[in-house]
Amino acid sequence: MVEQILVSVSRFLPEVTLTVTFCVAILGGLIFHKHPKTVGYLAFIGILVSIFCAVQQLGVSESVFSGMISVDPFAVFFKILIGSVALIIIAFSFFSAEVLTTVRRMGEYFSLLVAMTLGMFLMAGASNLLMMVLALELTSLSSYILAGYTKEAADSSEASLKYILYGALSSGVMLYGVSILYGLTGATDFIGVNKALALGTTSHVSLLVATIFIIVGFGYKISAVPFHFWTPDVYEGAPITITAFLSVASKAAGFAMMIRFFKVTFIDTHMVGLPSGMWASVSGFEWNKLLAILSVLTMTLGNLVAVWQNNLKRLLAYSSIAHAGYMLMGVVILSDKGLAAVLIYFIVYLFMNLGAFLVVMMVANKTGSEDIDTYKGLGYRSPLVGVAMVIFFISLTGLPPTAGFIGKLYLFSALLDAKWIWLAVVGAINSVVSLYYYVRVLRNMFLRDPEGNAGPLVFPTPQLTLLVVLMIPTILFGLYFTPIVNFANASLLMFGIQ
Amino acid sequence: MLRNYLPIIMMMAVAALFGVVMGKINEFIGPKRPSEEKQSTYESGMEPIRTARERFSVKFYMVAMLFIVFDIEVVFLYPWAVSYKHLGVAGFATMFVFIAILLIGYFYVWKKGALEWD
Repeated sequence: MVEQILVSVSRFLPEVTLTVTFCVAILGGLIFHKHPKTVGYLAFIGILVSIFCAVQQLGVSESVFSGMISVDPFAVFFKILIGSVALIIIAFSFFSAEVLTTVRRMGEYFSLLVAMTLGMFLMAGASNLLMMVLALELTSLSSYILAGYTKEAADSSEASLKYILYGALSSGVMLYGVSILYGLTGATDFIGVNKALALGTTSHVSLLVATIFIIVGFGYKISAVPFHFWTPDVYEGAPITITAFLSVASKAAGFAMMIRFFKVTFIDTHMVGLPSGMWASVSGFEWNKLLAILSVLTMTLGNLVAVWQNNLKRLLAYSSIAHAGYMLMGVVILSDKGLAAVLIYFIVYLFMNLGAFLVVMMVANKTGSEDIDTYKGLGYRSPLVGVAMVIFFISLTGLPPTAGFIGKLYLFSALLDAKWIWLAVVGAINSVVSLYYYVRVLRNMFLRDPEGNAGPLVFPTPQLTLLVVLMIPTILFGLYFTPIVNFANASLLMFGIQ
Repeated sequence: MLRNYLPIIMMMAVAALFGVVMGKINEFIGPKRPSEEKQSTYESGMEPIRTARERFSVKFYMVAMLFIVFDIEVVFLYPWAVSYKHLGVAGFATMFVFIAILLIGYFYVWKKGALEWD
């Protein structure tokens, strides 16, 4: 028993590192209260070490802590992704005027950021229903506090409260679904549930109810329609660093957990070598149709509502809902090709979405506003930032020669491969709609004259450097995408699936 | 098997009887001089009927929360202490880590001044 735990701990190093970092950060906040940025550096180093530990696990496929957590290439992929986002967000935090006004509480800010990263790491590996709920709660509780971090701002507190209410409800519903699923199968680990379902004795109706309840929890985390209501308000109210973190990392963790749940729990493991694009469900219910409806609703609503938004943070919130819809298309197929497309999309999404948020943050730092009108003439006031925004938005739309195009290309080709033609058509139409609201911002930047006395905007060099660092991969991966495609393809292996 | 519980049932019956008898004796032979103050629900406590929309000091929550955290720590300590000899060094090390983490929390709470009422 003891040996087993010790072996598990040695496979658990990324998470252990984060736990230690959390403790160090929270103590560091007390010790270095005169130099709050020190805690940020500590957190940065801690997360960097934990990414390093995760990289060491590449190629491992094991289950640790009696089947609670899987350490496999799929989990490691998401750990690296989420860790990288956390690093970039810590860098953002050093630039954000919003966060820097609250110097006294910065120790808590960084330690909670680490705690949230830890929760997401656990979400990526969770292969037990209980672990899934616990990891989700750890992530959510930290993000509730961080969403209301600038407590002097009324909209931040509002965001936090709305987030808690929606979060509590959806995780409650999810927990109820988990309890029903446990009652039906008598197992809490995914593989055990899969085996119980393979007997074919479970009642279809109760299984459907349980799974829909669990989907509520996933849907809330990835902000899929109709569980998205918290998203715009939270994204608008929360500090922009946290908004950016939620929009990429939180979504990635939610997708990781959802994909693992569906793949390990519902796929018939006896049918090896399924025809491409098919997935045989052990329960006899066609989950992919349900997910397809969810996907269509999510991207359509996200894109259509984004058209009316004048606040850039809110616009990006709806755009992130729409992107969750695109990525859900890959989950609908659940074939290797579809999942690889989702993973590729996440790598690409990381750079383009964080980049867009960085521009919004830099402009808000200078002008104090996120309104679309403040972007009038930005392309002339600061050409580099203007051009960067064009690249990020073109990429978010999914036009060549940017990385966003590659993401969409792989998604759509996987869809066509699996004969989901109507879904691909809906996705393509949605991309056209999204072009409208992205270009609206670009038009303001380049074709409209600035209002009032607007001289050139000068941004600090470190911020511009980070902007360029995010901009280069956005273009580079659009032209040379073999590495990310190979990485995604190598990361599909999950523990418990042949 | 149920016979084993007989003493407990007897104990409960005696307790119930005792409570009822004492209450009734008080009712029959005690003096009664009612006044408005005495008739109110809580003689020296709060008003029973008033607005529910009142603001509570956040300190109450802090104390409650800290109490729960450290209370659970003690609850975990009991089973560990009972089976201490079986668990050996591994058990000791595990508990040490657990308490160390809580100690960090305690230190944090202390330094942040959450234990001071004013």
